[in-house]
Amino acid sequence: MPEQPPYDSEGAVAGTGMGGAMDLAASEATTLERAPGGPEGPQGPEGPGGREDAEGAGPAAGRPRSLWSDAWRDLRRNPVFVVSALVILFLVVIAVWPSLIASGNPLTCDLARAQDGPAPGHPFGFDGQGCDVYTRTVYGARASVTVGVCATLGVALLGSVLGGLAGFFGGTWDGFLSRITDIFFAIPVVLGGLVLLSVVPGNTVWPVVGFIVLLGWPQISRIARGSVITAKQHDYVQAARALGASNSRILLRHIAPNAVAPVIVVATIALGTYIALEATLSYLGVGLKPPSVSWGIDISAASPYIRNAPHALLWPAGALAITVLAFIMLGDAVRDALDPKLR
Amino acid sequence: MLLEVRDLRVEFRARDGVAHAVNGVTCQVDAGETLAVLGESGSGKSVTAQTVMGILDTPPGRITGGEILFRGQDLLKLKEDERRRIRGAEMAMIFQDALSALNPVLTVGDQLGEMFVVHLGTSRKDARARAVELMDRVRIPAAAQRVRDYPHQFSGGMRQRIMIAMALALEPALVIADEPTTALDVTVQAQVMDLLAELQREYRMGLVLITHDLGVVADVADRIAVMYAGRIVESAPVHDLYKAPAHPYTRGLLDSIPRLDLKGRELYAIKGLPPSLTRIPPGCAFHPRCPMARDVCRTDPPPLYEVDEQRGSACHFWRECLDG
Repeated sequence: MPEQPPYDSEGAVAGTGMGGAMDLAASEATTLERAPGGPEGPQGPEGPGGREDAEGAGPAAGRPRSLWSDAWRDLRRNPVFVVSALVILFLVVIAVWPSLIASGNPLTCDLARAQDGPAPGHPFGFDGQGCDVYTRTVYGARASVTVGVCATLGVALLGSVLGGLAGFFGGTWDGFLSRITDIFFAIPVVLGGLVLLSVVPGNTVWPVVGFIVLLGWPQISRIARGSVITAKQHDYVQAARALGASNSRILLRHIAPNAVAPVIVVATIALGTYIALEATLSYLGVGLKPPSVSWGIDISAASPYIRNAPHALLWPAGALAITVLAFIMLGDAVRDALDPKLR
Repeated sequence: MLLEVRDLRVEFRARDGVAHAVNGVTCQVDAGETLAVLGESGSGKSVTAQTVMGILDTPPGRITGGEILFRGQDLLKLKEDERRRIRGAEMAMIFQDALSALNPVLTVGDQLGEMFVVHLGTSRKDARARAVELMDRVRIPAAAQRVRDYPHQFSGGMRQRIMIAMALALEPALVIADEPTTALDVTVQAQVMDLLAELQREYRMGLVLITHDLGVVADVADRIAVMYAGRIVESAPVHDLYKAPAHPYTRGLLDSIPRLDLKGRELYAIKGLPPSLTRIPPGCAFHPRCPMARDVCRTDPPPLYEVDEQRGSACHFWRECLDG
């Protein structure tokens, strides 16, 4: 077959303008796109079933292995994964049942104790309004985890469906979608948030989630498009077509499982950045607003008093940093586990 | 006639011009017959096969003319979903590299069973049982256990057997094998070719064997079509062609096979390189490399002359060539 103009592989995953972590995610996606289950396949160094020929029944086949079971086995042994997964599990538990570890009410405040340091029953001290910092930090996890998980799910679904279809069908639809993603990439995230969210009434997490999905899907869409284009060129897709499989069958059964790994990885890493973004927007006064409880609000409220009462700033900021770090580390570990070349 | 390709033309739009990959291919395959399509890389063998199967990527590919008659029906005039029902069930394809032609994330049982699920609507459980039968038929040991394994857990020869099993699952009338043994080592090559030939006899299917290995061809083919620059330059029963080629290109190919009785002498090679498909020479495409080329070859493209009722040669001077 003559050389055809190669697909624009550099363009498949582009810089994002979403901040350092997102760029990190995107650069990791680039290395991943080539990797999972490619022609070189997840053939381990010992090459199970490598050299037996016509007669030999092969080594005792053992349990079946796949990209996913191999990745899972690697992950369980990876301390980075175990630690970050435990931290995330803990966060999810306190997000759902904050009263498990914090008996107080985050909105019960006593101005007389404003900016006081730690006291018995109040291990983190009090903030500028005399509210218990420990209780507020625990309750703040709910907003952060909700935004992080919901925004990531929305972004991953919308982005991978649109990007996957564009990559698979190509042509006009692909060109159209790529220009739209370009437009969204041009919107500065914080500025866009200030403009869009300041006109939205209400005080729930959903406008924030919606905004993040709106600005976040193009990144996943580019990655999904790129990895679908890579997977589409593999021989097994042509083989499936030659054996009479329909487009939907090829896309769902043959391409999607081979293209989904980069999306999962980038989404995991992006989750951390979305939590930070919610805090940023709340800090700027356009995300959640009091009386909602969120780390961003608390950081924002405590920042004028950083000299008098640093603890009111440091605890929610520390919780935020640990959460973001846990998700980024998780994404990193998943990326390593899904890359057969590192095995 | 099972398959009849008439004057098929395929081109690719590339940045540096139009690549004419297939320029009027005409050939036939009968039920139970093996046609070997022989040619260098880039001679249009695989593109012809992909076009017949209907899996050519369009764009960049474009079919600019010709007919593909399968049991008398022109495939190029069918709608996509009608063609899809034929693909896999009535005509199937075996790919060169089974490792990349099998999906790494699905077990071989799933992939074999998919044939029955897609075309016959078989239940998953029955499809699994049929998959085991198929693996037995292509002589994969311990099929019942190995049906749950992934492609990378099989050796190269076993994987190619699975590819063959997939292609033959629904007992198609026509199988196109695109260099089925190129990725295998020599001993395994022979086993796989034997298996393929045996199954072909059993099912009486038409087999199109695309290859550049003259040794493989001599053993299994009934007829040979030699391709050069997107055309069939010679088509003949295998023994006639080996005995006396009627085209200088075929002669060059046969002369460049290493032979034991000529040990120590310099091996013959056809001088020059195959033409770029974007700039195919006018007249006979082979003339810049042909030792017999004359003025007429530079201007007039030769038609496929009838040498006898079984043979054709696209050379103005086929008689001289035949006489040596």
